[in-house]
Amino acid sequence: MYEPPYRTVLKPYGRALLALAREHENIICLSGDLTKQCEVDLFRDALPARFVHAGMAEANMIGIAAALAREGFLPFVHTFGVFATRRPLDQIINAVAYAALPVRIVGFMPGLSSPGGPSHQAIDDVALMRSIPNMTVIDVADATQAGQVAEATLDVPGPVYIRLKRGEIPVIMPPEHRLDVNHADVLTEGSDVAIFASGMMLPVALAAEQVLHAHGVESSVVNVAVIKPLDVATVLATAASARAVLTVENHSIIGGLGSAVAEVLAESGLGRPLQRVGIRDTFGEAALVANHLFRKYGLGVADVVQAAWRCLGRDEPVPLVPVIEVTEGEYAPV
Amino acid sequence: MEQPSTPPEELHRLATAIRLRAVEMVSAHGLGYLGQALSSAEEFAALYSVSRAGIDRIVVSPGHYVIGAFAAAAETGLLDRQALSSYGYNDSSIDAIGGERSPGMAYTCGSLGQGLSAAAGFTLADRLRHEHDRRTFVLISDGELQEGQVWEAAMFAGHHALNRLVAVIDANNSQVDGPVDTITTIEPIAQKWESFGWQASEVDGHDAAAIYQLLQPAQTSRPQVIVCRTSTRHGLNCLPDSADGHFITMSPELSQAALAELMAELDNCNV
Repeated sequence: MYEPPYRTVLKPYGRALLALAREHENIICLSGDLTKQCEVDLFRDALPARFVHAGMAEANMIGIAAALAREGFLPFVHTFGVFATRRPLDQIINAVAYAALPVRIVGFMPGLSSPGGPSHQAIDDVALMRSIPNMTVIDVADATQAGQVAEATLDVPGPVYIRLKRGEIPVIMPPEHRLDVNHADVLTEGSDVAIFASGMMLPVALAAEQVLHAHGVESSVVNVAVIKPLDVATVLATAASARAVLTVENHSIIGGLGSAVAEVLAESGLGRPLQRVGIRDTFGEAALVANHLFRKYGLGVADVVQAAWRCLGRDEPVPLVPVIEVTEGEYAPV
Repeated sequence: MEQPSTPPEELHRLATAIRLRAVEMVSAHGLGYLGQALSSAEEFAALYSVSRAGIDRIVVSPGHYVIGAFAAAAETGLLDRQALSSYGYNDSSIDAIGGERSPGMAYTCGSLGQGLSAAAGFTLADRLRHEHDRRTFVLISDGELQEGQVWEAAMFAGHHALNRLVAVIDANNSQVDGPVDTITTIEPIAQKWESFGWQASEVDGHDAAAIYQLLQPAQTSRPQVIVCRTSTRHGLNCLPDSADGHFITMSPELSQAALAELMAELDNCNV
């Protein structure tokens, strides 16, 4: 793992998808009028015969993709997460998931990373996709994973929902990191708190782990990129080895990673205090920058540290979180 | 790839047989989607006569019209006729609303308005693979034209000039809450499709030969739509005036009368 501030790169997913498509002729790229924003302008320009403009018609786009998948193609559907999941939910369920078709639904701009307000903030996409039988759900944490996710899921027989940050993508994992769709990734080990984090909240969890460590609290940080199917064994083993459990997600606390972990803990009878850090059953709002929303809606490093403190029942004041300064082109959690 | 043409008498016989099988399937339960089979019998007869099994595809967008597809498949040798007796029963693949386990389904519909996207996707798949001989047919009900996805798909197919795509609209003016034209105004149907870049025609939907002719491969650069004007009561005189087009109740007496009427008609066809 690299240390923050992280350097950022542009279009790691788009470059990887194009490279993969050059090797696999059955890959078709569909876009719902957000081609550059979803990094697939690279695909459009290089392989125009296999690129489909679906326009602003998500229901039809999913239907087209389902038919292409039935014919042996591997369609990758691109739009923002809100439009990828809310608008064509019925089509995803009936035409894609019920038939267990290998359609890749790629939703950019997760949670409050969009300052565009509730219409553009996918705070429920994981919950929607996780509830659908046959669906695999992946919340990508960084550029290294974004560059691997298309290939790592190549052999997943059914549909996959892939949640990707838009714009400048931080490089958290070294190139030798391998996104493993079968296993959650235990990044640090500690016996006080087990922190399960996905997507854009991984750097938040890692920064919180350092603050907690400096104050004598040792945490396991587990990157749960694949939220469904959940790596139950790793979740239970890590939770069992700690006194308290935190889940950290850029998503509603209802139905996403926090719910998934809570379900597993409860069903196994493993009793641990649990705090879910996420959007607390509320809509977001528009803003000038997303960082403001991350602070305002409890998605900052301080929120994770505070949740750990609460979970452990510590009496001392909550440790202060140092600000990580970034220069242009760098990324750090707030 | 040409195949022998089907004479009008055979199309009429096939449509009558579809009605008879549908009555058999529905009578076992005492109620069911008989009106849909009655309005679409000629459409299915024409579609299953034109479509080449294993090459072309038939998408049934209103999933509950699958009763007509099952009947047509059984009558054209694509499905074991015995299988029809399990229509709608527990653990049967002959689902009343076609599902993934149902035989002969190109694409699972059921949630209305999705079939045209599927058909457009299949046609696009053929184009991507340079398979220029295959055609895709899709049956759409007029009530489905209320769904926005139909028009998303119509715009897509028109833009891409998917000229190996043929939509057959069963305009029976029937939906759950009553006649379609009392719920929303969907007319003028043909002009709507023309304005979306389609080649549209309108026929008496109970003239199987006319539909059959229109389904023949045409030299066109546009997708093709055939608006079939139909009735959910057509071809079954014994139906009482009170029969609801969407979900018809069949008393044992009515079932007996319907079976007798259609078997007599089928005998006439076979003379």
